[in-house]
Amino acid sequence: MSARRAVAGQPSPLVDGIEKVTGEAVYTADLDTATCLSGRILRSPVSHGRILRLDVSRARALDGVEAVVTGEDCPRSYGVIPIAMNEYPLAREKVRYRGEPVAAVAARDARTAERALALITLEIEELPACYTSADARAAGAPLLHEDRPGNIEREVHHEFGDVAAGFARADLVREERFRCAEVNHAQMEPHAALAEYDAERDRLTLHSVTQVPYYVHLMLARCLDMDTSRIRVVKPFVGGGFGARTETLNFEIIAALLARATGGRVMMRLSREETFITHRGRPESEVLMRIGIGRDGRLCAVHCEVTQRGGAYAGYGIVSILYAGALLHGLYDIPAVRYDGWRVYTNLPPCGAMRGHGTVNVRHAFECLLDRMARELGLDPFAVRRANLLRAPTRSLNDLMINSYGLKECLDRVEKASGWRQRRGRLGPGRGLGMACSHYVSGAAKPVHWTGEPHAVVNLKLDFDGGITALTGASDIGQGSTTMVALAAAEVLGVDPGRIRVVVNDSVITPKDNGSYSSRVTFMVGNATIEAAKRLRAILIAAAAAKLDADPGDIECAGETFSVQGGEQSALSFAEVVRAALADEGTITVKGTFTCPPEAQGGRHRGGAVGSTMGFSYAAQVVEVAVDADTGRITVEKVWAALDCGYAINPLAVEGQIEGSVWMGMGQALSEETRYLDGLPVHASMLNYGVPSMAESPDIEVHIVESVDPLGPFGAKEAGEGALSGFPPALANAVADAIGLDMNVLPLTPDRVLDALIKARRAARRKEAS
Amino acid sequence: MRMISPVINGEECTDAVEDNLLLIDYLRRNRRLTGTKQGCDGGECGACTVLIDGRPRLACITLAAACDGAEIETIEGQKRGGRLSALQRAFHENLGTQCGFCTPGMIMAAEALLRRVPDPDDAQIRAALGGNLCRCTGYVKIIRSVRAAAGGGQ
Amino acid sequence: MSATLPDFELIRPATLAAAIAALQEAEAPRLCAGGTDLIVNMRHGLSPAATLIDITAIDELAGIVRQGEGLHIGAATRLCELEEDDTLARAYPAVAEAVRTIAGPAHRQAATLGGNLCLDTRCLYYNQSDWWRRANDFCLKYGGDVCRVAPSGKRCRAAFSGDLAPALMVHGGEIVIAGGEGLRRLPVQDFYREDGADHLALEKGEIVTGVYLPPPAGLSAYRKLRLRGAIDFPLAGVAISCARREDGWHFAIALTGTNSCPVMVEMPPLAPDEDAAAYFRTLGRQVQKKASPQRTTAIAPHYRRLGVAAMAVRLARDLWQAA
Repeated sequence: MSARRAVAGQPSPLVDGIEKVTGEAVYTADLDTATCLSGRILRSPVSHGRILRLDVSRARALDGVEAVVTGEDCPRSYGVIPIAMNEYPLAREKVRYRGEPVAAVAARDARTAERALALITLEIEELPACYTSADARAAGAPLLHEDRPGNIEREVHHEFGDVAAGFARADLVREERFRCAEVNHAQMEPHAALAEYDAERDRLTLHSVTQVPYYVHLMLARCLDMDTSRIRVVKPFVGGGFGARTETLNFEIIAALLARATGGRVMMRLSREETFITHRGRPESEVLMRIGIGRDGRLCAVHCEVTQRGGAYAGYGIVSILYAGALLHGLYDIPAVRYDGWRVYTNLPPCGAMRGHGTVNVRHAFECLLDRMARELGLDPFAVRRANLLRAPTRSLNDLMINSYGLKECLDRVEKASGWRQRRGRLGPGRGLGMACSHYVSGAAKPVHWTGEPHAVVNLKLDFDGGITALTGASDIGQGSTTMVALAAAEVLGVDPGRIRVVVNDSVITPKDNGSYSSRVTFMVGNATIEAAKRLRAILIAAAAAKLDADPGDIECAGETFSVQGGEQSALSFAEVVRAALADEGTITVKGTFTCPPEAQGGRHRGGAVGSTMGFSYAAQVVEVAVDADTGRITVEKVWAALDCGYAINPLAVEGQIEGSVWMGMGQALSEETRYLDGLPVHASMLNYGVPSMAESPDIEVHIVESVDPLGPFGAKEAGEGALSGFPPALANAVADAIGLDMNVLPLTPDRVLDALIKARRAARRKEAS
Repeated sequence: MRMISPVINGEECTDAVEDNLLLIDYLRRNRRLTGTKQGCDGGECGACTVLIDGRPRLACITLAAACDGAEIETIEGQKRGGRLSALQRAFHENLGTQCGFCTPGMIMAAEALLRRVPDPDDAQIRAALGGNLCRCTGYVKIIRSVRAAAGGGQ
Repeated sequence: MSATLPDFELIRPATLAAAIAALQEAEAPRLCAGGTDLIVNMRHGLSPAATLIDITAIDELAGIVRQGEGLHIGAATRLCELEEDDTLARAYPAVAEAVRTIAGPAHRQAATLGGNLCLDTRCLYYNQSDWWRRANDFCLKYGGDVCRVAPSGKRCRAAFSGDLAPALMVHGGEIVIAGGEGLRRLPVQDFYREDGADHLALEKGEIVTGVYLPPPAGLSAYRKLRLRGAIDFPLAGVAISCARREDGWHFAIALTGTNSCPVMVEMPPLAPDEDAAAYFRTLGRQVQKKASPQRTTAIAPHYRRLGVAAMAVRLARDLWQAA
C-alpha cells in the first residue's frame, strides 16, 4: 500500500477546470481573429497522381486575397521520425491521397478564401492507386515512394527465445487471423492554428492545437528555413488529442507559410471533414496470431505477424510497426516470441499514433485467441492469465525494464467486483461476460530526437509574494498534467496547492518538453517537478535553519510552517521563511530534471528503443454484454476495469483516464471505423464516424491498483492508455460467451454480428442435415 | 442585412447581421462569446448547444436572423455574482470535464434538463444529453456531475 | 470544404397565404422550418436557395388540435411538442416513439413535423462536402448524371430517412397540402415517390400544412436500426399498428430508410385460427421483399433488409400478444 500524503493521493479537481466549465478557457479557434486573415487549403481530388499544372494566378488576383502558397514555397520535407521525413506540407510533384494539401490561400475572410480556391487550376495526371495493404504489396503495384520497393515502409523481424522449441513443447497450438479496422481519434476540437509573422523582426508566432509544441517548433524552423530562436510556439487550451496531434501537421506549417507570405496573422481552421482527412489514426491491421500453451495454461511460444495499412506517408509508421511487436512483451511471462511486421504505404490519409499506440490490435488478437484456447482446454479465462504472471522486478525477453507489476491484483479486483465466478454462464441466453488484460508504457524511454538533454525539465520560481510559479512545457490536452505538476510540487513543498500557479506551453517562457505522447508526462515531468520542488524545499529549509539557528537536518516543514524538530523555539511561517530565503539573492528560480536511465532505454537489437519505458501500467477488465440475435446489436451492460497506475497522484483524474480509455476502446470495438470509397472518406463527420453517444454508453466501474513503482513520481506510472486495449478483446470474449461465436473482426458492428450468426445457423442446419 | 435584438445572457443586444449568418458565428465573432464551441460541420456533435428561450438549441444550424427578440443563454451567462452555477461546480468538482471542449454545450444541455426535470434519473440524463458527444470522459463523470448538481439543488 | 452559408434572403411570412405567395413569386425559394436538415445541407453546398421562407411564424401551421375523434398536427409543430404530448403518446404510440428516436434533443427543439416529412433523401454520395462530391464527379441527385449507388439505373437511389412518415402511415395519416388551388389531402404514402432525387409529390408553390390522424384503432410501435442510441438517422425503421377485429388481427406495416420513399407492406389479417408462427414468418418475408436498401449507407444493404425484417417480426408479434 502507498503512503498517505497531504496533497498527492487526494482526489483533486483540475486546476484549470474552472476555465473549462465557464467557457473562459481559450482554445486556438477562440483567439481573437479581428485582425486575422482566413486560411483555406486546396486539396487533391485524386488518390495518386502527378501534378502537371498548378496555376494560382487567378486566385492571387482576386480582390481580398493576400497570399497563395504552393509546394513551390516549401521545398523541405517534414516528419516526426528524423530518418523518415517524406512528407511536404503542400504536395510537390505528386499527390498520394485524396485530400492531400496542394495549395493554400490567405484572404480577408473565409468566403473570399473559398472563392480563391475555386479559381486555382490544378491538372493532375492520375496514376493507379493502392487502397489495401495486399494491393500495395502485390507484384507490379504502383509505387508511392520511389525509394520504397514493394511499398514497404518498414519490415520488422524479431525473435526472442526458442520459438520453434516452444511450439513443439506446447500441448495446444492455435492460429487465427484478425482484421481490425482503421480508427480515428475524433477529438472534439477540430484542428486549428493561428500564425503571426512579424516581418520587421523576422519572427513567427504559432498558436496551435498540438500535443507536441517542441516538435512543431523544430519543423517550422526546418520548413520555413528560420532559426529556431525566431519562432515562438504557444499551445492554448487543447480540446483533446489522443495522438492525433503528436506530430507536426501540415496545416500548422501551411498557416505559418501563409503568415510569412502575407506578413500578417492567419487563422487556419479546418472543418471536421479536413480534421478527419488529416488523420494520423490507428492503421487498419491484419494480425496473424499463433499461440502455444501447455495443458496447465502456461504460455510456451507466440508468433505474431502484423500488417499495417499505413497510408501515404511515413509519420510515426516505423514506431507503430515496432510497437506492435515490442508490446507482445511485458504483460505476461512468455518464454519465446517471434514477431514479423510490415508497414505498408497506401494511397490513403497517413496513419499515426493513437491512444494505445501500436499495441491495441495485437492485444486484441492475443487476448481473444488466448481466451478461446483456455476454453478448449477447459480452463477459466482468469486462471490462464494467472498462470502466466510476471514477477517484478524483471526484464522482458526483449529487454524492457519492469520494476512494478500489479496485474494480479487487477485480476483479483475485477473478478470479484463483476461476480465472475457466480455469474458467468448463468446470465441467460444472449448475455455474456468476457475479460482481458492489457498494459502500456509510461513514456518512451528513448526520445525521438536524441539530443542528450534531460527528458524533462521543470522550473519553479518563488518570489516576494510567496507565490510559487511552476513553469512546464508539458502539454495538457485534458488529461490533467497541469494539475499533476501543481499537486506534485505542493506535496513536496508541504504547501497549499493554491499557492502554486502553473504556467504552461509558451516556448519563450516555459522549458522545452518533448510533448504529451506515449503517456510520458506523469512519469517524466512528475519526477522533474519533484526534483525541482525538493531543491526549492532545501533552500527554504536552509533559510529556516539559519534563522532558527539550527541544523538544516533538524528542520521540520509541514502545513506551511517550519520548526526545529523537538525544539522549543516558535515555528516560522512560510512568509517569514520566504523573506529570509530571498534576502540574500532575491527571486529564487530552481530547476528539476528527469532522465530515463540507460537500462530503461531498451535492448540493443534494431528497433529496441521502441517499447522501452520506465514502467508499464497494467489493467484487467470484465465486460458484460447482451446480444440481440435478431438484429446483431450488442449492448454493453457494464464494465469493471482495474488499472495499476503505480500510485494515483490524483485519483479523480486517474479514474477519468481509465473511464475514458475503456470507453474509447469500446468505440473501436463496437462502432468506430473509417471507410473509404476509392480513397474518398465516407466517415469524415461526427454523424458517420461512430463515436458512441451517451445513450448507449455503459457504466464503468473503476478500481485503482497501486503497485508503487520504485522509480515513478511517488510511485506513479501511466493511467491514460493501458486500459484501452483490453476492452475490444474483453468485449469479443463476452460476445463469444453470449452467443457462442468467435469473431475475428473489429468493430463488431451489428451487420457483422448478424452475418456471423446467419452463417453459424446455416452451418448448424447443414450439420443437422448430414 | 437586418437588425436583430436578442437578449443574450440577460443583456439586450442590437446588431446588424447578414441573413445567412449562423448563430454560432454571431455569438463567437460578433459578440466574442467564444465559450460556445464548433466541433463539427453542422448539427452532429452538440458542442454548440445554447439555450434559446430556455430550450437547448444547436447554434451551428440556427440562423442569427431568426433570433430577433429571443432570449439566448450561453455558458458565459451561467455564473452568478462571480460564482459557478450548480452544474458548473458539479462538472468542475466531479471531473465532468477533461479537455473541456464539449463542456459548455454539455452544461447548457444539462441546464435545460434540470430546469424541466429537477431530479433526473440516469436514463433521463442519457436521453437529454444523447446529442452531446464527448471524447474524453466516457460520459461516466458527466452523468455523475449532472446527478450531483441535481442533488445539490440550486 | 465550405463552412460558410451561401447568400440568401430570409423572409418570415406571418400567414399561410403570404408564404404561398412568396413560394410562387420569390427568387429560387425554399421553405425552412427548424432548419436542422436544410442548414446542414446548405453548409455542404446542397439545397441551393436565393430565398428562404421561414414558416415558423405562421399560426395556421402550429399546434396539435382535436379534429372530431382524430387529431390534426400543424406542419410547423416542433418535434419536442409532439414528444411532450400525452394524447399522442397514448393514442398513437408509434408516432410518439418515432419522435423520440429522431436525432438529438436539441434538434427536436427546432425540427418540425413538416420538416421531418419533407426531409431530403440521404446517401453517402450525396451528404458530403462540396469538395468530396466534386472529387467524385457529383451524382444524379445533385450536379451529375450518374447514380453512384446504381450506375446502370435511371433514377437516384438515395434513401428516405424520416422517422415519422411510417408511424403516421400505419395510423392512416393524411397529409394536408395548401397551394394556389386551395387545400388538398392525401394519404401519407401517396405523398412520396420512389425517386431519391424527386421524392415528394409537392407541386410548385405548395406547402404541407399538417397531418390528420384518424381515430386510433389499436396498438402501434416504431423501431429503428442504427449504430448509436442517439443522433443517427435510421439505417432502416419500421412502424406497425395492430388492431383486433372480428376477422382477426389487422396489421399495418410501414418501412423507412430502406427505399427512396417510405413504403407500406401489405399483409392480410391474421385469422384467429391461423398458425401465428407461419404468419409472422410470412410477414418477415414480405418486409424483406418490399425493402430495397441500396448502398446509400456505409452499412451493407442486406443487413438493413434482414434487420428491418427481424424487427418487424418481433414488433408484430409483441403487438399481437399485447392486443
